Amino acid sequence: MRRMIAAAFALLLLPAPSAADTPTATPPGAPAAAPDEGVLGAFVITGVNTAERLPKIAVLPSLSPDYEDVIVRGVVRRDFELTGLYDLIPDSKAPAGLYGFEDPIDVLAWQNVGAEAIVKVSAQKKDANQISVLGIAYFLNVGKEPVYQKTIVVPKSDARITAHRITDALLGALTGRPGSFASELTFSGKWAQNRRIFRMDADGNSLLALTDPMDTAIAPNFGAPGHILYSVSHEYAPFTVMDHFQTANKPLNLPFNTSVYSLAFNKDRSKLAVAVSEDSKSSIYVGNADGSGMKKVSTSELATRPAWSPSGKLAWVGGDPNQGSQRIWVDGKPVSPAGFTAASPTFCDTEDGIKLVYSVATGNNHQDLIIAAEKGQNMARLTQNQGSNSYPACSPDGRLVAFFSTRDKSPGIWLMSLKSWKAQQVSTQEGESLNWAALPAAPGAP
Amino acid sequence: MAASAFLPRELALALFLAGAVEVGLFGLFVVAGQNRARVTAVEAAPPEEIAIAVKPVLDELPLLKLGSKHVKAKLPDMWTKQAPVQRFEEKSAPSAKAEKTPRAIPTTPVATKDAEAPPPDAAIAKQVDQKLADAAPPKAEANLPTEGAADGVKEGTETDPLKARAANLYANKLIGWFQIRFQRPTGMPCEVVHALSAGAQITVGPDRTIVSFSFSRPSGNADFDAKVKASLEAEVGQELPPPPPLYPDLKPQAVLTPTFSGKDAPCVE
Repeated sequence: MRRMIAAAFALLLLPAPSAADTPTATPPGAPAAAPDEGVLGAFVITGVNTAERLPKIAVLPSLSPDYEDVIVRGVVRRDFELTGLYDLIPDSKAPAGLYGFEDPIDVLAWQNVGAEAIVKVSAQKKDANQISVLGIAYFLNVGKEPVYQKTIVVPKSDARITAHRITDALLGALTGRPGSFASELTFSGKWAQNRRIFRMDADGNSLLALTDPMDTAIAPNFGAPGHILYSVSHEYAPFTVMDHFQTANKPLNLPFNTSVYSLAFNKDRSKLAVAVSEDSKSSIYVGNADGSGMKKVSTSELATRPAWSPSGKLAWVGGDPNQGSQRIWVDGKPVSPAGFTAASPTFCDTEDGIKLVYSVATGNNHQDLIIAAEKGQNMARLTQNQGSNSYPACSPDGRLVAFFSTRDKSPGIWLMSLKSWKAQQVSTQEGESLNWAALPAAPGAP
Repeated sequence: MAASAFLPRELALALFLAGAVEVGLFGLFVVAGQNRARVTAVEAAPPEEIAIAVKPVLDELPLLKLGSKHVKAKLPDMWTKQAPVQRFEEKSAPSAKAEKTPRAIPTTPVATKDAEAPPPDAAIAKQVDQKLADAAPPKAEANLPTEGAADGVKEGTETDPLKARAANLYANKLIGWFQIRFQRPTGMPCEVVHALSAGAQITVGPDRTIVSFSFSRPSGNADFDAKVKASLEAEVGQELPPPPPLYPDLKPQAVLTPTFSGKDAPCVE
């Protein structure tokens, strides 16, 4: 790819088209227009999109016996692995040297083992309750000075989440798009005869059940920072919406007496969409975030599982009366292929723009994931012949999609990079209605 | 009178033989230095000059600006006190290549065994009285008055290496976007299709939507031009990928001038 860009710029040296060809020629005497400083002018298109080479990156090993240092470094390395964006240099190839908190980095030695960028993270005790966490990144083509450096002091108990935040900041430095490992996933999963709501960190750690095992809780989704809302039924009563925050569960007052099956907030959480049971069918209503001003918006016979795109489009799963199957509807129009039962729409704010991701039934009780443009065009399969893959959820940075999969005879939650298409398992939990959101921002975080 | 152990004749013979061995050995040394079997110093073959075609290629945008990390507390180089230069005494080293003439006898003291050679650009003096304790250290990173990167160029504009890298990644992303939308022609003879290229101008709106296109230089091959036109027509109205969130000011140029090339198209031999 680099060669291609170079070739493109070499083309700049070719004779320029004549003035007659130029659409806007500057008249003589007129002040010269400011140069167009856009990132792309002339380039060559051959129709060959060579696979992007994964840059080699070194995450410096930890030789410290400190528990915090081991955790921070281990979490950051695992996060970088999960991104699927980099070819990580194994620890076995690390040059001999000291890797303590304040030890200098032997940039040349790392360059010799092929590193194009170096990431150092380290932690050490500051006092009985606090630790200092350090994150540094070097680009070896820029010089021996770090291009990113940050040291923060956090409570000891925040070592893991701080490591995720450091990864996110380092990814921002390396790519211009911060990562989103400081985030959590929520889903409903089977628990004896009922279903409970769970949450876990983006890398599969800290799994917690949030609801009473005697209730049936389904369709969790994220609300305001730190809030998880879900539908719950106690002893076959209609499903009502509860709001979980920290350790408390409070009901959300909605103007419906029937069951509320699922809900979703838009990007700025000013609007709430809910799927409500109506006359043995279901409809989507949209109103204010507090549940007031609800109006029916769905036009399909059945409508459930609402999802908002970052640009404000509303998707849902709707019954198509002509085909007799469920399709994905976006802003009132079916967009998934006719004849295929589709489910679980979600939107990813990727570096290629906003994408719609959903699952379709493919026979043998299997589902596969489809990715398409925001309005449903340009469909492509994300999974094929790898077990059943369902309930996609996109990372807040749009780099990863999480989903339940039965691939490799190892059912659980898998993460797939939308850049390298590499999938890695992060949990053995099975369930439904997966959603992913950033954790509340922390003051002083990188 | 005791009888002697050896006869005078035997003693004379022994003396003659000992002398012959000594003379023979000396003769061997003399002969050995003059025939082909003599030991000679093997000289490494001088490196052969190989002509290399250097094709200058402009690097990707934006070029890093030549400079250094701006350190307020540090004076620029021109105001920094210059450290004294350590001079080296002129000394001679024995050489197998020295001519065997009186003129080749060195006039300076011979260097001690295993003495370290002075740097190639060292200042040499006849006599050095003092080894400087504060001699110039290894060259530190420049402290130029302008902010930039050590490996930047004067014409560079970008002082932030992170932004320069993000711009590079974004440019690659945009090129990839166009690559996957060009359906290459198939079934044409290799010598024909590989030589084809066509130029176009694409106008991009402020919202990154492709507004229009025009052919600035058709290839002259109807099939190839039809493929180019079809891909351009399909792109109109589509939105190019967004810039990285940390650098929202990055954008594609308002007018893009791609060259469609058939050099990698599948072909018939």
